[in-house]
Amino acid sequence: MSATYSVTATPGAEEAGAVALAVASLPATFGPAAGGSATPDVAAIAGGPGWTAEALHAIEAGSRGVMVVNPVPEDTAQLSAAAEAAGTAVVLDLRWASNPALVSQDGGPDAREAFRSALGTAAMLDSVATGAPGTDPQRLLGEHLAALLEVTGTLDAVSLLQSGATGYTFSGRLANGAPVSAHGVLTAARPAGVDIRLYTADGGVSVRLPEPAAAWPAEVRVTGPHGGLLLPTLYESAHRTAWRRLKEHLTAGTRPDDLTRFARLTALYATFADT
Amino acid sequence: MPAGKPLGVGILGAGPVTQAIHLPALARLRDILEVRHIMDVDESVAASVAARVGATSSSSMDALLGDHTVDIVAICSPHQFHADQVIAACRAGKKAVLCEKPFAMNAGQAARISEVSAETGVPIVVGAMHTFDPGWLAAEGHWDDLPETAHTIRSSIVLPPNARFEDFATEIVARPAAGAPDYSDIDVIKSMMQGGIMGLAIHDLPLVRRFTPDFNDIQVLQARHVRPFGYAISLRTPTRTIELRAAMNSTWQPEWSFEAIAHHSALRIDFTPSYVQAGSATATFSRGTETTTLGPYSHNGYEGEWRELAELARGTKQPPSAQTLIDDLTFALAIADATVDSVAADHARRPGGIAATAGASA
Repeated sequence: MSATYSVTATPGAEEAGAVALAVASLPATFGPAAGGSATPDVAAIAGGPGWTAEALHAIEAGSRGVMVVNPVPEDTAQLSAAAEAAGTAVVLDLRWASNPALVSQDGGPDAREAFRSALGTAAMLDSVATGAPGTDPQRLLGEHLAALLEVTGTLDAVSLLQSGATGYTFSGRLANGAPVSAHGVLTAARPAGVDIRLYTADGGVSVRLPEPAAAWPAEVRVTGPHGGLLLPTLYESAHRTAWRRLKEHLTAGTRPDDLTRFARLTALYATFADT
Repeated sequence: MPAGKPLGVGILGAGPVTQAIHLPALARLRDILEVRHIMDVDESVAASVAARVGATSSSSMDALLGDHTVDIVAICSPHQFHADQVIAACRAGKKAVLCEKPFAMNAGQAARISEVSAETGVPIVVGAMHTFDPGWLAAEGHWDDLPETAHTIRSSIVLPPNARFEDFATEIVARPAAGAPDYSDIDVIKSMMQGGIMGLAIHDLPLVRRFTPDFNDIQVLQARHVRPFGYAISLRTPTRTIELRAAMNSTWQPEWSFEAIAHHSALRIDFTPSYVQAGSATATFSRGTETTTLGPYSHNGYEGEWRELAELARGTKQPPSAQTLIDDLTFALAIADATVDSVAADHARRPGGIAATAGASA
């Protein structure tokens, strides 16, 4: 059976998003566009500065789907309107926030649900993002924030406390007022990833998110008075999960809400500029 | 190997720390140390605890210091008595003194203690048990230049209420009643933050300082109270980022870690909970895809500090530098003072104060 949707990827998207690998893992749905093909069904672009304009261009060129790899915070209002008018599915492949352990695609147990059950009795949220030396701390911060928002829904009173060549620290509050403290660390000593720990009155939830470069599973653990529970491990990278979501929207003819949710991240990120 | 007759130990203060930490640790060292005198202001508590180990009891410090069978004095009384009792124990001609942290509540007291220790020649050990943990000591032998190159340091302490582990260690008599703090009172929050630093963070602040060469130049970026007891504190020196977290809640799962992270290497130490004889910490070095784990070893830091005291009392080991103890204390006091100032300033900036917020932060 041949693939339903042809895909092209910019070199930047291929490098950041391992597009060929993800596409090859969904062979009945996606396949590389033939050379010289004017308009692919799906355009994969890198999420560097100016990505919204590039995505807009892909929509105007007639792509039915757009995959954006690691987008930086940027105003998505115009893109959102264009995607809606053209019926184009724009999916964001977020470095950590797209990990399937955070939000289940099939109704299974996930970190978001575990957090929602625990947030009412939250005492503190502590999180650490690790990136390689040379990583732009601001970019790491955006990716870190995206992962946090995926499980907390909102963060109040965010404030950047420090940022420099070795990382950053920011603080905030959960809806019940419990303190949020998060920091980024640049080091080659440990693999890149994000740890999120929510402490409650009698236990908590911890999440360890790996890099999407391989299908390492995230770990989500829920601790309560009766013991600890490891949620089922999912050997699927954030990249593949994003592509699988795009497949579902293209197949069903539905529109993802990625841009709407990303607008909340962009708005929150903008508040750091004021602190 | 034991060197002759066991040394005699006298303990000032017979509360839960003595009952659940020191007596169980000493029970493992009967060939070198023997508890001979227990003092507590509550005479019945002193008698009850002393009877468990066949020791003399009293309600007077002078009686204990005058007991010639006591070679080593352990000071486990409330913080405000520590300085005077350390000095009195040194002047009483004892062979060594263990003082629970903090050994003084200000720099002036610390200087006085240092002078008396130098004058009398009595070695003093401060009960910062993690610095005697074999896991920490093993890490020290392997960390190369990490204290000079680390840029980020973390201490994270998640503990169940003390009673859970006290009850795993012994049968407590006269446990102090838990209070119900008024979180809307800024003085309560300030007191809890002060207690959080000088009673909990202080366990690991000597470790943090070891990786912070410019420890005299510290700045508080945030200090938040965590309910029911804990803190989220971010600190900065010109060369280090320091993150301190603590949460004491009703969980059953303890987690006590220390981390020092540089560009090319990182150290993580996972400590066992206080009170229980659960062996040493485990130290893990990471260098890219390579990890090296040291430990666990069979005893914890409390047993380690008693072994050290026995050696100091016998004169087979040199005492720690008084300056190290003073620097550790002044580092902790500086953080405690700045933290209290920070929560007070935050409170003053917030319309309506803490009572106006629904949440858990100070």
